Amino acid sequence: MKLGTIDWAFIVWYFALSIGIGLYYSKKAGRSISEYFLSGRSLPWWLLGTSMVATTFSSDTPLAVTGIVIKDGVSGNWFWWNFLLGSTLTVLFFAHLWRRAEVVTEVEFIHLRYSGRAAEFLRGFKALYLGIPVSCIVFGWVTLAMVKIIQITFHTSGIAALAVCLSLTVFYTTLSGLWGVVATDMLLFGVAMLGSIVLSVVSVEKAGGIGTVVTSLKALSAQTGKDYLSVFPSFGQALPLAFFVAVFIQWWAVYYPGAEPGGGGWVAQRMLAARNAKHAVSGTLWFNIAHFVIRPWPWILTALAALVLFPGLARAPAGDMEASYPRMIGCLPAGIMGLVIASLFAAFMSTIESIVNLSGSYLLNDFYRPFVRRDAPERHYVLVSRVLVVIVALLGAGFSYVLGSVKMGWQLIMELSGGIGLVLLLRWYWWRVNAWSEIAALSSSAALAVYLKRFPDSVLVRGLSSGLERAGFRVDAWGTNIILIVAFTTVVWLAVTFLTPPDDTQHLLAFYRKVRPGGFWRPIARLHGTRYRLQAAPFAGWALAIVMILCFLLGIGRIVFAGFAAGAAYLAAGAAAAVLLAGAINKIDWEGQ
Amino acid sequence: MRKDYLPMALGFWGVAVPLVAFGVFLCRTAAERITVFVAAGIFGPVGYFISRAKQ
Repeated sequence: MKLGTIDWAFIVWYFALSIGIGLYYSKKAGRSISEYFLSGRSLPWWLLGTSMVATTFSSDTPLAVTGIVIKDGVSGNWFWWNFLLGSTLTVLFFAHLWRRAEVVTEVEFIHLRYSGRAAEFLRGFKALYLGIPVSCIVFGWVTLAMVKIIQITFHTSGIAALAVCLSLTVFYTTLSGLWGVVATDMLLFGVAMLGSIVLSVVSVEKAGGIGTVVTSLKALSAQTGKDYLSVFPSFGQALPLAFFVAVFIQWWAVYYPGAEPGGGGWVAQRMLAARNAKHAVSGTLWFNIAHFVIRPWPWILTALAALVLFPGLARAPAGDMEASYPRMIGCLPAGIMGLVIASLFAAFMSTIESIVNLSGSYLLNDFYRPFVRRDAPERHYVLVSRVLVVIVALLGAGFSYVLGSVKMGWQLIMELSGGIGLVLLLRWYWWRVNAWSEIAALSSSAALAVYLKRFPDSVLVRGLSSGLERAGFRVDAWGTNIILIVAFTTVVWLAVTFLTPPDDTQHLLAFYRKVRPGGFWRPIARLHGTRYRLQAAPFAGWALAIVMILCFLLGIGRIVFAGFAAGAAYLAAGAAAAVLLAGAINKIDWEGQ
Repeated sequence: MRKDYLPMALGFWGVAVPLVAFGVFLCRTAAERITVFVAAGIFGPVGYFISRAKQ
């Protein structure tokens, strides 16, 4: 496809706006580490929530969702919609605790919560592990998706365009810190959504309107035997194990960047940067609404329209299914095409800037500062942070260049940390969890994942598979592996917890005093003199948040397919849940006084 | 006008204005025009609310 002058004008204008906004904050960011990585802990809920969703809206996300919808229909999205359960759990039970902890990074929490040499080892290890390999894989995944988009839209390798885009993003991110990241994220998310909505409208129109799309897909369903339009999967004779694992296990057990059990990564970074605990809670709730309700429908509509326009896609390889999203850009008129391409750059940049800032924070705050050079002036640390951000960006770019199959590496990372979710949740609410619990969970999860990769047909796998088949499941390797990893990891870390001594009492007391968690802290609460209890309202709030988001998601889904009465009913139910949720949130004492 | 949020507000207005121009001069169909005008109608007020937000 060919871009006209007006398309280029919009792309250049958009880049100028983003860079201008980023650079405006560079002076503010240079004052201290707290300003550079946490915006001086002054972010309001709307800014931090939008920044979270802008980061999760990456250049690969619309492609991945398009691929899912073309392969499995709308219901295929439960593969990631299941994370709603864990994300809303974070809103009601963890966001305020993160803010009260007042650490700089997720990894520094280890130093606050645990004591002794094991804790220091764990902190240093996680700083390097999350700061380099995990960040590079995310960087590589996102960059490869952008390369694919550029190749399809410009019919060139696009390396020069990508290099310019990466350099500009890293340039303003290095100078402006988290302030620049969240401020540009506001605009980037707006432009990314605008582009995806415009593309979906034009695609559906091109396919003959929504009525034709529905009729054509029903006819296609009759041929392929797949229901493309249903939001819920049809189970047939047996329950798919992957669906069971997604809905009942994955959201609390698997460490998935952007949906970490109890919060982590860039989600935790923004909760830590909130103005106060209530802003952290409200911002994370807004993130969930935008993430699950606002983002997906334009992508789904574009995918369905592509399926109508190119019915051969239903039997195409997975790569072609995903590539149909950028291919639809060819349907756009001059001017609008530039806007949509700019929107994909926006999605790319918003993720890249967050990754490099976050990995810089791990390497500086949890490795360089505690283990390489303590007690240096703040200006020195800010300078080192900027250097680290550039190094991580260079490593990530190099990694994406040599990466053949990121997806395999990505699945491996998920399996390696497949069973650690429970320990990450309980470390807030159970005094007995110690650094060894986390080390045991990490190492046993990784060890079993490697074993299962090496011996995919072992006795363990065969035994569990046949048992599950007898119980009526349609078994797959991913689901079986996750069940094995979670069960094994949980037994190991619980055993290690009881076999090793608890953390130093004074250390636990200081943590309890500062974070004020409820739950199982009786021995420490007795020493403290005050016992913080789990309130009932967060449990009700959790249920209401799930109902609200599901109703909004389904309501919009009905309305876009012209089911106005059912859509309005869902939206009304969602609004009622929202009112009750607001009441519950206002009732809770988020500061824990 | 709040100083910290001003660049973000300007960014939203900086997108809203070209969108109006798109809608007037470049959109071919009613659906495209409505989408672009609705988007411009959202970006403009969002910029205003950001500029007035509490620091």
